[in-house]
Amino acid sequence: MKAFILNRLLSVIPVALGVVTLVFLIIHLTPGDPVEIMLGETAQAADKEELRRELGLDRPILEQYFSFLGKLAHGDLGNSLYTKRSVTESIKERYSATAQLALSSMFLAIIIAVPLGVIAAARKDTAIDNGAMAVSLIGVSIPSFCIGPLLILVFGIELQWFPVSGRGGLDSLVLPSVTLGTAMAAILSRLARSSVIEALNEDFITTARAKGVKERVILFRHALSNALIPVVTVAGLQLGALLAGAIITETIFAWPGIGRLTIQAINARDYPLTQGCVLTIALSYVLVNLVVDVLYTVIDPRVRQK
Amino acid sequence: MRTVPFALKLGAFLTIGFIAIAVFAPLVAPSGPLEQNLYEGLNGPDANHFLGQDRLGRDILSRIIYGSRVSLLVGFVTVSISFVIGTLLGAVAGYIGGRVDSFVMRLCDVFFAFPGILLAISVMAILGPSLTNVIVALSIMGWTSFARLARGQVLSLREREYVTAAESLGAGTPRIVFFHLLPNIMAPIIVEATFGIASAIVAEAGLSFLGLGVQAPTPSWGAMLSEGRQFLLIAPHLTIFPGLALMLVVMGVNFLGDGLRDALDPKRNISQRTV
Amino acid sequence: MTKWRKLAVFILLALISACHRAEEVPPNTFVIGVETGPAMLDPRLATDAASSKAFDLLFNGLVKRKEDFSILPDLAESWEIKDKLKYVFHLRKNVKFHDGSSFTSADVKAVYDFVLNPANKSPHRGTFKVIESIETPDDHTVIFNLKEKNAPFLGSLTFAIVKKGTETATEHPIGTGPFKLVKYKRDEQLVFVKHKDYFEGVPNLDGVIFKIVPDETVRTLELERGAVHTIMNPITPDLLPRFRKNENLKVVTQLGTNYSYLGFNMEDALTGDKNVREAIALAIDRKSIIEHILKGLAQPATGPISPASRFYEGDVKTYKRNLEKAKKILDEAGYKDPDGDGPQKRFTLRYSTSQNELRKRIAEVFQWQLSEAGIGIDIRSYEWGTFYADIKKGNFQMYSLTWVGIADPDIFKYIFHSSSMPPGGANRGRYRNLEIDKLTEMGAVTFGGERRDVYSKAQKILANDLPYVSLWYSVNVAVMNKRITGFTLAPDENLKSLKNVTIK
Repeated sequence: MKAFILNRLLSVIPVALGVVTLVFLIIHLTPGDPVEIMLGETAQAADKEELRRELGLDRPILEQYFSFLGKLAHGDLGNSLYTKRSVTESIKERYSATAQLALSSMFLAIIIAVPLGVIAAARKDTAIDNGAMAVSLIGVSIPSFCIGPLLILVFGIELQWFPVSGRGGLDSLVLPSVTLGTAMAAILSRLARSSVIEALNEDFITTARAKGVKERVILFRHALSNALIPVVTVAGLQLGALLAGAIITETIFAWPGIGRLTIQAINARDYPLTQGCVLTIALSYVLVNLVVDVLYTVIDPRVRQK
Repeated sequence: MRTVPFALKLGAFLTIGFIAIAVFAPLVAPSGPLEQNLYEGLNGPDANHFLGQDRLGRDILSRIIYGSRVSLLVGFVTVSISFVIGTLLGAVAGYIGGRVDSFVMRLCDVFFAFPGILLAISVMAILGPSLTNVIVALSIMGWTSFARLARGQVLSLREREYVTAAESLGAGTPRIVFFHLLPNIMAPIIVEATFGIASAIVAEAGLSFLGLGVQAPTPSWGAMLSEGRQFLLIAPHLTIFPGLALMLVVMGVNFLGDGLRDALDPKRNISQRTV
Repeated sequence: MTKWRKLAVFILLALISACHRAEEVPPNTFVIGVETGPAMLDPRLATDAASSKAFDLLFNGLVKRKEDFSILPDLAESWEIKDKLKYVFHLRKNVKFHDGSSFTSADVKAVYDFVLNPANKSPHRGTFKVIESIETPDDHTVIFNLKEKNAPFLGSLTFAIVKKGTETATEHPIGTGPFKLVKYKRDEQLVFVKHKDYFEGVPNLDGVIFKIVPDETVRTLELERGAVHTIMNPITPDLLPRFRKNENLKVVTQLGTNYSYLGFNMEDALTGDKNVREAIALAIDRKSIIEHILKGLAQPATGPISPASRFYEGDVKTYKRNLEKAKKILDEAGYKDPDGDGPQKRFTLRYSTSQNELRKRIAEVFQWQLSEAGIGIDIRSYEWGTFYADIKKGNFQMYSLTWVGIADPDIFKYIFHSSSMPPGGANRGRYRNLEIDKLTEMGAVTFGGERRDVYSKAQKILANDLPYVSLWYSVNVAVMNKRITGFTLAPDENLKSLKNVTIK
């Protein structure tokens, strides 16, 4: 197991390299010139040339790429072209906001979705099942830019239970987490339901029933643990996506997360900051997937990690 | 023996209904989707316009009807492409394991970590904004979740008796993947696919919002939702009706997906029981 | 199952510990809801609009502009101009920086030296390249020697003065302005407190907060519940009736300087033809767009210079909607409509625009209106960076954009002179007119009333030639809590009046 984890941690390197290379290529292929955006229109053409030279943007793309990799190898992500601030600093101050929102949304989604899915599976094709699944469908098909303002109207303006926007105390975390959590809970509950139904048809459940094991135990221990693999996979994917920043939710709730930072960087063609953000996202994604793969073996001992 | 469940019937009705609406849009729509009337901008539902009018006074019902063409196409085609590529790659990776598995999964990581917006910006800038390119951009991002899901399922199945039995009988990799693994891992993948259609339609809204979606004035539900966002406080009907249409399609596809899964499930018919 | 419970408790604890306490808004503090925060706090390097709003609070220039753009003393008390080449400024004597130190001529020299030093790559270097040398004979006198006569020079000295020795790209700017910066949390808020030694008197407010709320609906809600005292442009025009009905809010408007236009590629076979441009100018209906889409928050424009400026020339050729005339011009120029009023078009033009919802909507209206004259429009909306790159490259037939904050008519040289084609200037449509070249060169070295005559001639030629089809000047709008008094909107949207604001 240790070797497996170590091996996977090392796999950060090819993934990071892959992402960084791809981003490097694509951002340089995409029209839009960081120097134009930095200096604005009123700057002198000669100054623009000079700046381009200093940033190395006039050199062949391969040379730029290797010089970028060289700096990266020393842990130097450089400074943002647009704000001139250190990329590492800029990301650091955002990451905690993003991680906080991601984890709380995930937590919320799981504690809603798993019991809902299991109960719906146990009561398959009844009113409870149909009701639960209808609610989950509503959850997934309303875009977050509609749920967000709706929650703000009800709980921020009418009831005044939670702040409308901004990052403050724990209370400010509630509405954005619910916004993100509902959409995730919707798909997780359906996955849990369909996988539990699947598991309930397995032979070992029949055996357990024959032995007189209580139905509740069968559901929540035997069936659920067999149904968890797809749930954990998708939850992992979603957590990975959340750690990349939920741009729309961050925008609505004025949450200072990494999603807004990334889009600002891309819009300004701020190459170093874009790379920094993407690298951070890649790292968190690899880590989340590592956790998911380890969880596979915990959930189902038949899964061996080679 | 049981009859076809209500949910499946409803699902088929909704899905086929919406496809029919898309195909026969010019016959069904009460007016042209582009006809403007600035004087009537943001008017609510009335006798002439059942679902009201948008900012430029265009009939929302007609725009939803015409918009279903773009939105359904984006939803179904994107998910089909992602589904086929993702599921195959994931299943093969999970079954073979080792280097192949590592490679495919790291490739997934790379694609997943890659910012979708940057990809969309570059696809639109380089290939030009069009419906096909919207689908291309969304599919490039979409296959990874199917791959991971399929792989996870295969990992838990590949040591099962029926797989090892098939192996010992000398079945090759393609045979095992197609005949023994794929049919047994479909349940969660179909769920993901049905939800994927909704996400693709909503993602098109996100792209429209960035000016990267289908070009104006072509109506799409995504563009309508993103336009309505500005008027949420004063004219919520701009958002509610396309949102409702989206919800009905998602619901239809989901119910249909559930029914399909039941039909595909090899164990299903033997062990029908109520709990 | 206990391991899951442990994990859950762990995550909860982690979440709680990651939270920081909610911050209360201090009393007598004016909260402005803004869309984005400043990119940079160093006025010598920043170019974005959000930064310049913060600078209105933090800094002063040597001079400032009145609402009609005439020039008034600010940090300079008075000045003499010798031979139009030597500018001698006498500085105010008891001006203090935010850190308590005194403002002197050395600070002024330091700012301009910094900008002019090519190593610093200031985007503003071009504005001041006319400076030959700067002398500081004593603490309260600054002399600028110019290389050549330059009419817009005095106006450019509104440039913000930051304390000497400020590090490049500072995060802690020290100025002389009515408020000093306490804290900047990016994408959250900027907190300012009053500058007790401000030379024009202590502000009434104890502080100002820029609260960054990117979503307009949420900004609206924050305003309505009182957490934010005011919001400003951009405001969706359709929201105004809702604000006017609210008894806690008031709506303030003021004709602004932002000028929207349609730009054309003069090297394109179709848009290079003046008949085509004139037909477009006659086929679009600005009036109905201003009335219905912009809800009156705009006024038809005649040229880049707005009526607020003394250089404005209103007596130029103007275009009102006249479909018949538009069709006639096109018919006579040989662009026949193949099927009369049928669906086929005479020709189709590519119309580039950014992804802004309002701009896209206006493009759709133009498309509809132009189709009535048999002109087809293919709307292409792009993400901003792509759009801007295309425009600079001349990769367009027509596009729509807005010029922001035009204060001096020297801009004509920059956008219409044949030597100003990108990357050296903003003549993106590749317009060539020898007379305009001559007039804009002359305008830069002509002073007083004659300068107005030069630009009046240029404006007449441009309105006739139509390298731009003028659309409208926007009306600035602010919605604020009725408890706020003393706030006035400026045509260029500056926030200088904050020092006079009180909260009841």
